[in-house]
Amino acid sequence: MERGRFDRRGWMAVAVLALVLVGAMVVCSMVGVVRFGWGELWQSSIFLNLRAPRVVLAVLVGMGLSVCGAVYQSVFRNALTDPYVLGVSSGASLGAAVAIVLGLEAFRVGVGGCALLTGLLTVAAIYRIASTGNRMHTTTLLLTGVCITFLMSAVISFLMVLRQDKMDSIIFWTMGSFASASWTDVAIVGPVVVAGVLLVLLYCRDLNLLLTGSETAQSLGVEVEKVKRVLLVATTLMVAFCVAACGVIGFVGLVVPHCVRLVVGSDNRRVVPCSIFAGGLFLLVCDTLARTVLMPAELPVGSLTSLAGAPLFIYLLYRNKRRF
Amino acid sequence: MIVLRDVTYGFGGRGADRGRVRPVLEHVDARFERGGFYAVMGANGCGKTTLLRLVAGMLAPQTGSVTVEGRDVRHFAARELAQRMAFVRQQPQTDFEFSAFETVLMGRNPYQRRLQNESEEDWHIVEECMRQTNTWHLRFAMPGEMSGGELQRVMLARALAQRTPVMLLDEPISNLDIAHQFEILELLRRVNHEEGKTILLVVHDLNMALRYCDKLLLLHRGGVLFQGAIAEGLTPENIRTVFGVRAERIDSDGQPLLRLAPTTGG
Repeated sequence: MERGRFDRRGWMAVAVLALVLVGAMVVCSMVGVVRFGWGELWQSSIFLNLRAPRVVLAVLVGMGLSVCGAVYQSVFRNALTDPYVLGVSSGASLGAAVAIVLGLEAFRVGVGGCALLTGLLTVAAIYRIASTGNRMHTTTLLLTGVCITFLMSAVISFLMVLRQDKMDSIIFWTMGSFASASWTDVAIVGPVVVAGVLLVLLYCRDLNLLLTGSETAQSLGVEVEKVKRVLLVATTLMVAFCVAACGVIGFVGLVVPHCVRLVVGSDNRRVVPCSIFAGGLFLLVCDTLARTVLMPAELPVGSLTSLAGAPLFIYLLYRNKRRF
Repeated sequence: MIVLRDVTYGFGGRGADRGRVRPVLEHVDARFERGGFYAVMGANGCGKTTLLRLVAGMLAPQTGSVTVEGRDVRHFAARELAQRMAFVRQQPQTDFEFSAFETVLMGRNPYQRRLQNESEEDWHIVEECMRQTNTWHLRFAMPGEMSGGELQRVMLARALAQRTPVMLLDEPISNLDIAHQFEILELLRRVNHEEGKTILLVVHDLNMALRYCDKLLLLHRGGVLFQGAIAEGLTPENIRTVFGVRAERIDSDGQPLLRLAPTTGG
């Protein structure tokens, strides 16, 4: 009875989203300053070397950030968390900025590695600060995120004064953009996001149990500390490599899982798979809008995601109910 | 069989109180035999919940050991332990959005592998446990839509769905009206008799304990005052020592009954 209905609904949603995403990828790579016909598509270097990697990277980053948001919301048991709000993205971007100042930008993996290091430090700090007592307090979590963002912007300002020649590429990390996306970025971010998402998919039921509280989850057979550690490291890895490739893009991890929950309910076995495709779709649409609305000028994609995310965040705060 | 040997546990002070430990249980020895229906009793703050959490492996004793089937409880994997012991906490949590049915279904988690969906059997067990606890009609209800007692019964259904030989229940009837108290205790007695489940029940109602449980662990000031048959443990002297109230044993149709009164007046 309930099962048949729920499962069908969940799989239907995943299938529909995947189809829409594929369609959107085709459409979005067609629109832009330069237009092509079907025939010339495969000869055009604008399509092959600029637009196609950009579309693919936006989808990958959208997938990664959304899944990370869904994981954070369950692990921290707080509907208001995502990599951006918690400051993990900012923390990772700090590492990326430092790597650039040190002259590591030739090695993409080096930038990603530095981003991962500071991202992990951020997560560890948040986890320690916020885990006093049984539940993660919203205030503590949010303030930790705000403080880390402050700290990050302080250090970044410092770095920019220190290395004025690198100012442009540092600013890029704080704003978020896919303008410089290349197949190299895709080749680095792709495996990390795919592996991270697959790992998270293995833990969907554990995420459900974590939502009911650490103690309850433990008594129902979840190795709580181990699972949390695995998931936080995996998600931070995804965030760090996304940030290293395209800078800080806010609120994706907040908007997507919430919208998905409105449709499929709060079971993470449906929320996570749907968030993968919905996240790819959301960021792809945002990026396409960012580069087409004021053609040929380009908007920062982060401003569009924040335009959607910040009001939702305020609404969630206003409602002040930890609803999943 | 669950054995506590020389168990001490205290809550460490935080901040200014750092280093000052408030002992809750001190050098406690206790054993719970397989198939026993134990009442764990004592005044507020005497360490009943702490004892249950130590048995469940959620807390590590500062001295001594807790063993289950001869193995230290802290050495079990969470999954193994969840197949042996179910735990119902004192205050059910309500801040998540899973229906009662989904909540009870979580009780089957210890038997499911990663990526594996619920089997036909899991669904039958859940339905059975929800019918037993009279919660089947609530299966679509969300936590916010249920009363405290209904929620408590759903948590009990989840614990039953775990199909464990041991159940640790922290005041499962304190939120229930008298009819549901009887219903739940009858149910617990039935699973105790028929399935041989070991039950550790934290309960405040002396007469309910006397009526349904056969063994008693009476805690007083962080230690064990009495362990043994409940009829021998709930004496007027012990009740006066632990709770500071007057008690008188009377006989009501062959059932022992305690008449309680405050020490002053009455």
